[in-house]
Amino acid sequence: MHKVINSGQRVSVVASYKSGGEDSKICLPHKMLLGGKEIKFTELGFRHPTAKGGRLTHIFDMTDGHNDYRLEFDAERLTWTLAETLTIT
Amino acid sequence: MHLRLNPEDPQIMHIDLNSAFATTEQQAHPSLRGRPMGVTNRISTHCCVIACSYEAKALGIKVGMRLSEAKLIYPEFIILETDPPKYSHVYKKLLNIMRSYSPKVEMKSIDEGIIDFNQTREINTRPLEEIGLEIKERIKQEIGCWMRVNIGIGTNRFLAKQAASWHKPDGLDRLDSSNLLKYYKQIELTDLTGIALHYQARLNAMGIFTVLDFFKAEPDFLHRQVFHSIIGEHWYKRLRGYEVDDKPTKLGQVGRQWVLGKSSDDNSYIIPCFHYLCETTAQKLRFNNKSARGVMVALHLQSGEYWVKRKMYKSAFFTNQDVYSKALYLINQRPKNEAIKQMSITCYQLEDSFRNQLGIFEEVNKAHWLTEAVDEINDRFGNFAICSAESLPGKKLVKQKIPFGSTKYFELLLK
Repeated sequence: MHKVINSGQRVSVVASYKSGGEDSKICLPHKMLLGGKEIKFTELGFRHPTAKGGRLTHIFDMTDGHNDYRLEFDAERLTWTLAETLTIT
Repeated sequence: MHLRLNPEDPQIMHIDLNSAFATTEQQAHPSLRGRPMGVTNRISTHCCVIACSYEAKALGIKVGMRLSEAKLIYPEFIILETDPPKYSHVYKKLLNIMRSYSPKVEMKSIDEGIIDFNQTREINTRPLEEIGLEIKERIKQEIGCWMRVNIGIGTNRFLAKQAASWHKPDGLDRLDSSNLLKYYKQIELTDLTGIALHYQARLNAMGIFTVLDFFKAEPDFLHRQVFHSIIGEHWYKRLRGYEVDDKPTKLGQVGRQWVLGKSSDDNSYIIPCFHYLCETTAQKLRFNNKSARGVMVALHLQSGEYWVKRKMYKSAFFTNQDVYSKALYLINQRPKNEAIKQMSITCYQLEDSFRNQLGIFEEVNKAHWLTEAVDEINDRFGNFAICSAESLPGKKLVKQKIPFGSTKYFELLLK
């Protein structure tokens, strides 16, 4: 049984940035605050950019070991949004 | 013409991402790894599985199966909707890796491509098997640890593709004059790329039942008796490892087709969708820098009949308005009170665009400038930021699907 929740909720994210290194890990989210609860990420599944016209958004597919989270980073407004949560029971 | 097996050292490498869309989703969602799952364009009970994971394939779930059928086999089967930007990113990464080995790279589709090492061997002297293993490792490092590819090495494109499908998943095989006949003994006619049931029946009718029978057939026999065309000789050469599939193809037509969500003859439902199809067809024309002189509209009707109407024009056209007005003239001639199941619009008789040339008539120039301005705005703010008001409901109903074949419209699709 799996459940996909589309939230579109603005979240606070702690991420690290490093120069050079592997392209997909230059920016790496570590944890986020969701409904007062801190969620620590254990793995970056995939990162890819997506554009709507000239506006760029970076999508980070993260996991905390239980659920998978799709985070969107708006490169223009510098905001993080939790787009989707995938839970498998 | 009598040829022996091509004795040359193989220089063509075929790279094929295993279950590309499903594997990419498993890469993005670690909790899906090792589970039977698949992807579809739009989730509904009757939707089709367009790609499934190897775990699902092992249970007997196949591509093209309805979701309801897949759930009967495995009730916990997980299905996700396609995510084109994700696959585009994988495609671009794969292309970058391939281009780092040779300037001659050709993508055959979104998940497979060819590296031609001919004329690079003076610089790059490493064995292709070693390069193949390195590419597998780079794909894991640069795209994701769950990504797996099949790699085939051969003296022509056909044999490289055959080698890539020999040991799935994650295989690396080489086919050349030393092992080709042994390989042909192991496979069936329909295992050959390009031979499906129809061609198999044709070969069987002429006494060819195995791949070795096919291989031993004379070129003249294949030409005159089996295929009745030059295709017979192409197969004769292809099976011996000589290249016949490297010719560029000419763009003959562009178009869109759509299966209606519900069969209907209601203009208020059909025309906005049809208008949207016309606008995206015109975009494809301009994307290819082409103009068309012919337009064709084809409909599959609820009654089972197929209706088609076409018209040629003296002057070429490429604007949204031109394509729509010409296609609307045709669709308005369709049989009345007949529900439509599927509709398609095709522009043909393509020629290089004359957009840089100023016309004599001001009105024509204005229409062209307007199209250029709208394209420029849409490039900046996203596709369909400006479009015809009538096509807006159509945009919501007609979902853009991920292209399986050619990747030439990928950039256009993702705008």
